[in-house]
Amino acid sequence: MDLHKEIYIPKPSPFDPDELGHFGKFGGRFVPETLMPALEQLRKDYEAVRFDKDFWAEVDYYYKNYVGRPSALYYAENLSKELDAKIYLKREDLNHTGAHKINHCVAQAVLAKRLGKKKIIAETGAGQHGVATATVAALFGLECEVFMGAKDVARQELNVFRMKLLGAKVHAVESGSKTLKDAMNDAIRHWVTNARDTYYLIGTVAGPHPYPMMVRDIQSIIGWEAKEQLNAAEGCLPDKIIACIGGGSNALGIFSHFLEDESVECIGIEAGGEGLECKHGCSLEKGSPGVLHGQLSYLLQDADGQIQEAHSISAGLDYPGIGPEHAFLKDEGIVTYSHITDVEALDAFVWLSQSEGIIPALESSHAIAYLKKMKPEDIKGKIILVNLSGRGDKDMIQVKDILKEQFA
Amino acid sequence: MKNLVAYITTGFPSLEFTVDVALALAESGVDTLELGMPFSDPVADGPVIEAANLKALQNGFKLHHLFEASAKIAPHIDTLWMGYFNPFYHKGMDTFITEAKKAGVNGFIIPDLPFEEAKPYKSVIEAAGLNLIDFIAPTDSKARIEQIVTDAKKFIYLVAYAGITGAGKSEDLQEIVSDIKTFTDTPVYVGFGVDQNTAKEKAKGVDGVIVGSAFVKVLLDESLSNTQKITKISAIAKEIKEKINS
Repeated sequence: MDLHKEIYIPKPSPFDPDELGHFGKFGGRFVPETLMPALEQLRKDYEAVRFDKDFWAEVDYYYKNYVGRPSALYYAENLSKELDAKIYLKREDLNHTGAHKINHCVAQAVLAKRLGKKKIIAETGAGQHGVATATVAALFGLECEVFMGAKDVARQELNVFRMKLLGAKVHAVESGSKTLKDAMNDAIRHWVTNARDTYYLIGTVAGPHPYPMMVRDIQSIIGWEAKEQLNAAEGCLPDKIIACIGGGSNALGIFSHFLEDESVECIGIEAGGEGLECKHGCSLEKGSPGVLHGQLSYLLQDADGQIQEAHSISAGLDYPGIGPEHAFLKDEGIVTYSHITDVEALDAFVWLSQSEGIIPALESSHAIAYLKKMKPEDIKGKIILVNLSGRGDKDMIQVKDILKEQFA
Repeated sequence: MKNLVAYITTGFPSLEFTVDVALALAESGVDTLELGMPFSDPVADGPVIEAANLKALQNGFKLHHLFEASAKIAPHIDTLWMGYFNPFYHKGMDTFITEAKKAGVNGFIIPDLPFEEAKPYKSVIEAAGLNLIDFIAPTDSKARIEQIVTDAKKFIYLVAYAGITGAGKSEDLQEIVSDIKTFTDTPVYVGFGVDQNTAKEKAKGVDGVIVGSAFVKVLLDESLSNTQKITKISAIAKEIKEKINS
């Protein structure tokens, strides 16, 4: 199969949710009644294009000519030597705008355009999804408003400027913890008011149905390509696949084409923050099922069901919830989940930069760091696929502040 | 006689004050009280109620406070708990049903639990002799309205416009009200954006109004003493009750 010629079209999956969006007991639609007709309409609109060749051909045109797909699968020679394994990196960091986020932005913008919507809104944490949304808004001539926590606006100044440069309006959200969770609250409030003419471009496999399934379908191009690329390079499946998880879009993107392959172990890495006894973002490992932002999934919450703040060095993983399909895959034991701390991620950030000349995003550094955390006998001689979901350019100012003495 | 439902955020500025305000509202002609359960992420609410929610939580509000206050309030006025679904889910609907029965509370209003997701809970709540209030929004189709209101009990919460609480918006609801009335005799109350100025207009063709932000604004007003707040809230309630019935 020549990935440069083939068009990616999702296929029905045994892990598809039911018609109401339930992955087992997780998922669903927990939103104010005002939004239910808009979500039901979007469900029908997406069902209509889900397997439609014309729709995906249009998306494919932009993937190949604008995003730069297929993204490379790179054999990381130096890491492989050091670890005595075969390490392959799926280079989503090479995409236009620097991460996998552009995939679901392009496809959702094509959908929004087909639906005749003139405005798109998005929430963003670190600003990567906001930048990718502002990018496709510029490309397709859509009006764009991005909701971002006031704390993130201050610490991700450069991405705020990028969004504005691309023509988007950025709302600094002052309520609650002033981070991604609150940005999403305000995006939902805006959408409740404007659903009639506005498309809400959610940035991960979370939120009310159909978003978790739709974004997973779109991002699964990552695993579809990687499976073919690895088969061409090694003639076999990987033994393990590692990806970081905030909401979980890049992880489901690379996992879903391998979930039925029993020999493949998929490993999702949550943000361990300052450690599991301190502040962290491990909704699966330390949270419990609950409802936030339109979905039932694992959540960080207190005894009364109030949502707690997450913490991670990486703003993209700094979220107290997780996509509902991950919650399902965890409970069913289909995917393995673990965590990496801020310190370990930072260490991997430097490690990959210096051993392969690739500066990863802090989010993706969590996946890279897990290579070092695995026991030598679990990794020796194995073929391991890591989703390098984004590049580290956006993290330069933050990391420079932390590491300036080390590299003085 | 058209009814007035009043919403206040529990535990703000204090639990004792919530009880005092509730009793004052009962004496000012309010028919049903919605005791709001503060939540960290109230997505259906505008800035006024959101601020009261967050301040109540900062003051240390816990769910047992709601249960305690309700026991003092519910004997004096028809009382419902209004809260987001996560605390219900986390503590278990059974816990809430037990506590509601103990306190004399008559049911729940859960704005992020739409019809489809409410189904398994609604039957349990009704079997216990309590109510789960159904919402209708101006975005709903006639088919969806029929589906929702056929089994609606106590009253139907008609959202006055596509938006969040406390926004000064209005939409023509006459068609949707007559759609609802073709399928059910359950009273229709309109909420969102109802205050002293809009109450008369919004009450047209419906059986009652639901007022929240207009009261919570007074609760949040730091220039007023607690006594002044109660006087003002009671006056607003009386004024609205009069206007919707004039």
